[in-house]
Amino acid sequence: MNNRLILVCACVLLSSQIARAQNVDLATLPNRDTVQLTIYNSEDITLAKETRSITLKKGMNRLQFSWAGTLIDPTSVQFRPLEHADQIEVADTVFLGQKPQHLIWNVQSEFEGQALVEVSYFTSGLTWQMDYVAVSNPEETQMKFRGYVRVSNNSGEEYKNAEIRLIVGKINLVEKIADLARRDGKQPPKPATARFEDLRQRAALKSFSLAEGASAGPAKEGKKVVKEGVGEYFMFSVDGTETVPNGWSKRMQAVTADDVEFDIVYRMRAYQYGPRPVRFIKWPNDKEHKLGDSPLPNGVVRVFRENGSEGLSYLGNQVLRYVPIQAPVEVNLGVDDLVVYDQRKTSTSRSDFQFNRHSQVTGWDERQGWVHTLRNYRSKPIQVELRLQWAGDVEVTAESEASSFDVDNDDDQALRVPTTTTSFDYRTIAVELMVPVRGKTEYVLSSVIHHGANAKQNRVRLLKTQ
Amino acid sequence: MRRLLWVMTLAAVFTAMAFPPTIADARIKLAALPARERVEIQLDNGAYTLVEEERIIPLLKSSSKTGNNVIDFSWSNTSIDKDSIQFRPLAFRAGKDWQPIGKGQGKVAINVINVAYPPGENSLVWEVYAAQAGVVKVRVSYLIHNLTRTFNYRALANKDESVLTLRSFIKLRNYSGEEFGEAGVWAGFGPKFLKQVGQQEEIQMLVKSFPQVPIVKTFSFDWYTNGQLNPDKPFASPIPMHYELTNNEKNQLGAFPLQPGKVRIFIEDGRGGQAFLGEDVSRLTPLDDKMRLYLGQSRDIVCSRTVLKNQRHVVRGNLHHQEITLKYEIENFRDKPATLDIVEQLNRVAVEYAGNPHGDVEWVLGESTTKGLKISYEKGKATPILHVGLDARPKDPDAKVEKKVVLFHFTLKNIW
Repeated sequence: MNNRLILVCACVLLSSQIARAQNVDLATLPNRDTVQLTIYNSEDITLAKETRSITLKKGMNRLQFSWAGTLIDPTSVQFRPLEHADQIEVADTVFLGQKPQHLIWNVQSEFEGQALVEVSYFTSGLTWQMDYVAVSNPEETQMKFRGYVRVSNNSGEEYKNAEIRLIVGKINLVEKIADLARRDGKQPPKPATARFEDLRQRAALKSFSLAEGASAGPAKEGKKVVKEGVGEYFMFSVDGTETVPNGWSKRMQAVTADDVEFDIVYRMRAYQYGPRPVRFIKWPNDKEHKLGDSPLPNGVVRVFRENGSEGLSYLGNQVLRYVPIQAPVEVNLGVDDLVVYDQRKTSTSRSDFQFNRHSQVTGWDERQGWVHTLRNYRSKPIQVELRLQWAGDVEVTAESEASSFDVDNDDDQALRVPTTTTSFDYRTIAVELMVPVRGKTEYVLSSVIHHGANAKQNRVRLLKTQ
Repeated sequence: MRRLLWVMTLAAVFTAMAFPPTIADARIKLAALPARERVEIQLDNGAYTLVEEERIIPLLKSSSKTGNNVIDFSWSNTSIDKDSIQFRPLAFRAGKDWQPIGKGQGKVAINVINVAYPPGENSLVWEVYAAQAGVVKVRVSYLIHNLTRTFNYRALANKDESVLTLRSFIKLRNYSGEEFGEAGVWAGFGPKFLKQVGQQEEIQMLVKSFPQVPIVKTFSFDWYTNGQLNPDKPFASPIPMHYELTNNEKNQLGAFPLQPGKVRIFIEDGRGGQAFLGEDVSRLTPLDDKMRLYLGQSRDIVCSRTVLKNQRHVVRGNLHHQEITLKYEIENFRDKPATLDIVEQLNRVAVEYAGNPHGDVEWVLGESTTKGLKISYEKGKATPILHVGLDARPKDPDAKVEKKVVLFHFTLKNIW
């Protein structure tokens, strides 16, 4: 059954027998006028609001609402009159023991005639997620950036012509909606795979056509997704309506930005990324970069590069965590065989020994000299963020200049480049280095590690650079 | 067998279907199956393989009567990353020419409206708007599993082992479940290949041949890595041999970083034939780095090592220096001269003879070291390498091979 949500307006003749178990009913079935789905991505919860026109008589009216085979939380179902609200009131709600996915509203009405009502409820099984595609130009300076929302419907119910709103943000739930829906022992609905097997394309077009409306003509471009802040959350509203049959997913373009300039930076952090430098592309989520009208929700970003002959190269992917407006977007593309890092220890010595009363060594200082070398075989100079971490009580003296050489010419005069070394945290120092095209840059530092009784702290102290 | 199926279903048919038909009606459909015009297999990313296929598809002009075009893309028995699939219209055919796609004068608007994913199937359906009816060149790109690359090498050294020819091969392994027919294949460097890529086929292609690559044949002695040669020679240790190549233009390489892979090593036998020397697995060799190829053990260079002196000098309490002299006796039975690289791991020496070095041991060279001995080491790193030149064995078969004696005298400092 396509539509498993049924609102039954029981006949007037039956209305006096309130909430009696009856197996023979005569009922009218009012259709949905509108459906609005507000889907949250942090939890498996969707707020569904549907409006229906029903006819009421004066006095008590008995309305039955049922949701067989769906994942609706029974405790969340609400009835609200949108017209004649001061004359219509729900006297009570009865959950029928012998019919688990049914309820009866006994509605007291001072009004007689047709009235528009809203039925709202939480359901699970409707989800959405983002994914992104970035296609860089061959020069790796600009890209086309696209974000897509993909709405999946495994709720057991087909929502036709639904207005879809997507909430970005993390909400708090005490109980899972799916658990509440299953509390009566019903199994969750399965996607109607077999049923759609032969009708795949028909259903696809049906959904497209219904969404477009008969008179509006076909959509010329992807639907606009309007983004707006709601409290601490952000809401993406899909323009118009969509039909997502049960078991189907639909993917729509939500973020479009061309000519987005980006930077490439390499990061060498052995403690975080391993022994080789990793390559990042980064850009801010702001107006200057043709973005910034909304946060970027969680989703996988896939990065391609145009290869200059109408084709693409795949650079990598990463799960993008929620990126607020104006915050930087960073994508790790992994190691690069054309950028090489090497570290050499140039000296080791020990001094300042401390002894106990038995003349056993209890403390000492270890002095080490280090040269960190980066080589760049790419066709552009690169920027490298180098971070070095120690454990224990350490003093680090870094040179205020790095030396750059031509890798092809051993006799080349070193180019001295001023650098600034800073403390990133209590045990990590950071420095940014530029490495010329087919060049290598050397960064020299020395450290004193206080061991045993000489260790008074657990921190790395950056001394004034030489 | 082609398992990727495109169904370009004419929009008019589906417009009729917008009005709910019976199931029997839905089976009546007219579909065009556009063939692949071109396939590109991009292997430049070691972790993922990107396939791009180009097809020429007919599109109807979108209108309120006909609706938009619906394109169905499905696959079976092959593992495609569904979320990676890209549909990119490239050009619109106008007579013999191709017009660009996009907005503005001289361009034709072709837009993907949305994508729908049917339940329980490996397929998706694109809804595509076309401003004009006609033929459009599109590219569909996707990441596919089990279509992978490996690298391997074949090295042929000349008889006197001064140069070799290194051939770099890429092997495409297609266990993706899909037959691609004639496809362009690119490793990210080297030439672009055009090959028939069938299902369950492995295709090996020559990426580049590097002739006349200078090599250095090295012999090394490392007591702590290789241990005792045999019980009969308790102070001798195996002598591993390597070819050393430098990946730069000066050494006839340097075209690209050499990817990890198996290297089969051959040598010319001087009679027009080749002999197999062995094989090794090379690690990634970036530009300007050295590739070391293990050749096995030398039986014709014998080196034994003894500790001649081991003396403690107390500084205070348990803090002391340790003075050590190592003696090496080396014989070269080869008919060529050689250089033996003796690697001494002084941290291991310290542990064995002196005590805990507490990190890299501090050491100084002693005066009793053999004069003129070439030693290379990085200061601070306690692994000096002694380079000992060895003459070829005497040509006179009755002459005795000279036993070369080398002393390495050093003091390990501040041990406790």
